[in-house]
Amino acid sequence: MTHEPVLLANVEKKDSHTLAVYEAGGGYRGLRRALKEMSPEDVVELVKQSGLRGRGGAGFPAGMKWSFLPEKHPGPIYFCVNADESEPGTFVNRVQMELDPHQVLEGTILSCYATRATTAYVYLRYEYPLCRRRMQAAIDECCAAGYLGSNILGSDFSLDVYIHVGAGAYVCGEETGLIESIEGRRAWPRIKPPFPAVEGLFRKPTVVHNVETLACVKHIVDRGAGWFRSMGTPPEPNNPRDPGSFGPKLFGLSGHVNRPGCYEAPLGISVGQLIEQFGGGVWKGRKAKAAVLGGLSTGVVATAEFDTPLDFAAPMRVGCPGLGTGGVVVLDETYSMVDFLHNSCRFFAHESCGQCTPCREGTYWALQMMERIKAGRGRLRDLDLLREIGESIGIMPGTTICGLADGAAWPIKTALSKFRDEFEEYIMRTNPNGYMETEPVEALVGV
Amino acid sequence: MPTVIIDNRELEIPAGRRLNGIEAARLAGVEIPHYCWHPGLSVAGSCRMCLVEVGTRDPKTGEIEMQPKLVPACNTIVADNMVLVTNSEKVARARAMVEEDLLLRHPIDCPICDKAGECLLQDYHFEYGQPERRADIRPFTSRRRDLGDVTLFVDRCVMCGRCVRFAREISGTSELMVTGRGARAEIEVVAGYPLNNKLSGNVVDLCPVGALGDKDFLYRQRVWYLRRHRGVCTGCSTGCSIWIEENQDRVWRIKPRENPLVNKWWICNDGRYDYPHVHDPRRLTQPTGRDGLAIDWTALPNELNRSLGEAGRLAAVLSPFLTVEEAYLLCKLIRGIDAEAPLAIGPVPEVGEDERFPGGFTIRAEKCPNRRGVEAVIAHFARRVATFDELLAELDQDAVQGVWVSGGYKHEWIGQATAARFERLKLLVVQDLFPSPLSERATYLLPGAAYPEREGSYVNCADRLQSVRRAIRPPAGVRTEGSLCWELLGRKGLYNARAALDEIAREMLYFSVAVEPAPEMGIDLKANLLAG
Amino acid sequence: MNVLDAEVRKNIESCLGRYPTKQAAMLPALHLVNDRLGYVPPRAVVEIAELLELAPAQVQDTLSFYEFFKQDKPQGKYRLWVCRSIGCAARGGEELLEYLCDKLNVRLGETTADGRVSLEYAECLGACDVAPAILVNDTLHGNMTVEKIDELVDQMSNDQCSMSNADS
Repeated sequence: MTHEPVLLANVEKKDSHTLAVYEAGGGYRGLRRALKEMSPEDVVELVKQSGLRGRGGAGFPAGMKWSFLPEKHPGPIYFCVNADESEPGTFVNRVQMELDPHQVLEGTILSCYATRATTAYVYLRYEYPLCRRRMQAAIDECCAAGYLGSNILGSDFSLDVYIHVGAGAYVCGEETGLIESIEGRRAWPRIKPPFPAVEGLFRKPTVVHNVETLACVKHIVDRGAGWFRSMGTPPEPNNPRDPGSFGPKLFGLSGHVNRPGCYEAPLGISVGQLIEQFGGGVWKGRKAKAAVLGGLSTGVVATAEFDTPLDFAAPMRVGCPGLGTGGVVVLDETYSMVDFLHNSCRFFAHESCGQCTPCREGTYWALQMMERIKAGRGRLRDLDLLREIGESIGIMPGTTICGLADGAAWPIKTALSKFRDEFEEYIMRTNPNGYMETEPVEALVGV
Repeated sequence: MPTVIIDNRELEIPAGRRLNGIEAARLAGVEIPHYCWHPGLSVAGSCRMCLVEVGTRDPKTGEIEMQPKLVPACNTIVADNMVLVTNSEKVARARAMVEEDLLLRHPIDCPICDKAGECLLQDYHFEYGQPERRADIRPFTSRRRDLGDVTLFVDRCVMCGRCVRFAREISGTSELMVTGRGARAEIEVVAGYPLNNKLSGNVVDLCPVGALGDKDFLYRQRVWYLRRHRGVCTGCSTGCSIWIEENQDRVWRIKPRENPLVNKWWICNDGRYDYPHVHDPRRLTQPTGRDGLAIDWTALPNELNRSLGEAGRLAAVLSPFLTVEEAYLLCKLIRGIDAEAPLAIGPVPEVGEDERFPGGFTIRAEKCPNRRGVEAVIAHFARRVATFDELLAELDQDAVQGVWVSGGYKHEWIGQATAARFERLKLLVVQDLFPSPLSERATYLLPGAAYPEREGSYVNCADRLQSVRRAIRPPAGVRTEGSLCWELLGRKGLYNARAALDEIAREMLYFSVAVEPAPEMGIDLKANLLAG
Repeated sequence: MNVLDAEVRKNIESCLGRYPTKQAAMLPALHLVNDRLGYVPPRAVVEIAELLELAPAQVQDTLSFYEFFKQDKPQGKYRLWVCRSIGCAARGGEELLEYLCDKLNVRLGETTADGRVSLEYAECLGACDVAPAILVNDTLHGNMTVEKIDELVDQMSNDQCSMSNADS
């Protein structure tokens, strides 16, 4: 399977982040054509036909998201670029914004044209200072070149793009958390309904998209829906909820591989292929034990599941929620799954916004248990409690407002179901006298 | 009418009413537990205690399709053919989880918690929680934090956020905030900017657990010893519906009583903390004569009647703190003896301007509960409502010889100079709460009732009549204005405010809708003004 | 005495036009203040609230949610964030964090006695391809090793550490 990079076509070029290099590679031609030849409805229709699904994690069809906007709205309609890439194991947006910011911007401008948005905010995490400089420089170049501002390229379409810098909170990547954060409040995700398309930023209709999704929009306008659908995995025949997984995808490969990096492949490439073809295999001549499938919140697959295609539907067959962000973190045979789960629980407890009881307390409790297990005071019973937490928190069971808790739950569920033996062995080895205790250890120790 | 199915029971929703799952279930007699939702505040949807199963019934086939996820009832607006299930295993598990979660870091210090006995955490845990504690997290201690008007027990908080939303949406003062995030999130104020507004006491009522404590009430009573009585606040002419909570005739706490037509769920601090005067040791509790000697109540009614009859031209000052019934009986008494007696409304205390809050609540400048009601009664008897100043002018001309002054003011209300104008009277009857320059000059000084001791009706600034029973017995030696006049008029039995109001409703058009027993939220007297 | 000088105020005001509400300028304002002062002291919170026509508690509420803003004292000239999330942890990030604590003789969240370096952990820096990674002010340092950390610390103590990436 060979795939000529499209999303990453520019990144090897010198000064790839500049307008000149981008234009030399055919940049903004699609925008010129679209503004002349296509109505906003045409763009929406094209994106719908392409089957583009959001690249940020949830995989929601982008065209459908746009069609939720109220048809006749006096405006303004707002557009948010979700560049708050904070999912552990995920860095492809950083690469895109550092090395090809104009690609992201062209996709943004096209998407705003399609959705009739007149202001776009790029919500960018502060941890990406180079992205900030490059994106701002690109915006400035666009303003000077007439790709942004009033009456873009002589059309009656106007758009302002502003960068809004975050301040270190994972939950800002949740679209309503992002909206709250732009509005100047703590990023407590909003209860839905109303959905952002109806009542979002500043209580106006709002569309939020991931950086990579927007880059895809640019190429769909350039190359057509057919080109996009020529790659990927068709809908699963027995799954009416699966609209298929089409197009190229960026995969962030990291962890214990020889060549970590950002790689482009059609959706449907397997974990194993990614590791072997792009990553040069597992490092230090070791074998793999597991891999984070697509960002920490999608949980882990064991080596036996490395043939799992990385598309939106297939991961469900191995107990994972979906593709996630495409951030694959490989863990080798020496790495302890106890350490992995401890790291995961620490992350989500740290990032839980604290709004919903089950997430605030569940992630905290899970971390307390993992701290204790790791410290050699674990009980076998803790594993059942952890599993119960994993199964009961999140928007899947409906017990939280946003998906952060689901993200906390999948690593717990997948690690414990796939590596239970390792956890049991660890607990029995490190706490030989107390692993059968059913009474809380702290209570026995005394306060 | 739209029909919803709640736990297999069909419920018709009154057309045009926008109800969420919690409200609809309540109509069906089903309780859905909740912490963060409050009808007066925006929907947060974060405590997750009100999770229910939701589905739709196909109106044609009757088939029911349920959604796979639990949803918060607070954010679910019920619609025709909606199905709510609140009693399933799945719902029970979710509630048990939330309860277990909320107790993870809660100090469970109920014995020293003011909220014990009226705490949702206690009640819900008893009802929906798990019987065993599975967590091995050492509960925190009861950290106490001064927020200004109220006190916060940090670790008891369940982060429902009601108090923060109240300060932002209702009082509009925004002193409260959440700090930190995740399990480290806490309620706080900014140093130097404490919670300090006239509605701040409401956050204590809003707090579903023992986190926010009322400094006035803290550690003074166990709530299960309190009995509560419906009352009306007499602090201003808004006339908020309140609960008066007492133990053995001592008032310990005033709380708002929900009344969508007057005060919704709120009261101001002026009203909330306006009860210490009731138990003030300086209160008058002994009838005295001009010589300052005590007079026995048993002989007094006859003596009063005789003195009133012999005084000559009479006049009465009717306090705006009297109930409608009391004002009526007093007018009846005075006019019964002297049919031309001038009737004046007592001084109407006005302080500043009306204060309006963003949530719609208004504290009125008119600091008395019943100017409208008393004036309506006077107008019925005298055609003309004399002002206090007009009455003083008559005194200066020696146009009257005997005056009955009803006071009932909580604060100093008359100075030496004004009181001196009552000097030359033959008879001065003063019934009041506290000694005053006027009481020094009284021929008969009668101890009067404080508002929790009164029975009768008040008419607020919006012509809404609210009737209350007494919450506590007056202190020994005090007779309420109502019961005294009742006896002086020679009426049989004990003072009966309801009978008096019936009489008033028959006699006066303004009060004619009050013939029916008044609903808890009161009666709009304007309805009849229009009809009349 | 105001802690926000005229220039910071002017810069904050220039952000207002980007948003339909003043409150939305909160994060930009906090960043501007932090850039200027190295932290956001409580007094600055009050002044930002005045500028944005908010109650101080609304500013503090937002500020306290985000990890980036510190309030007790100015952060060091160099702020170091060491990634401890899974991508870096798998390649030795947590050990580097411990090494740095020892080397700089500070605990997590502290600033060195000379006020030069503040050490913090970060959740995923989005640099898993160059794990383990450290963010120093505006510059990402990837593929860190003990040797490279020694070098970095030397540069910082000689003030030769680049403050930002080449292009700007």
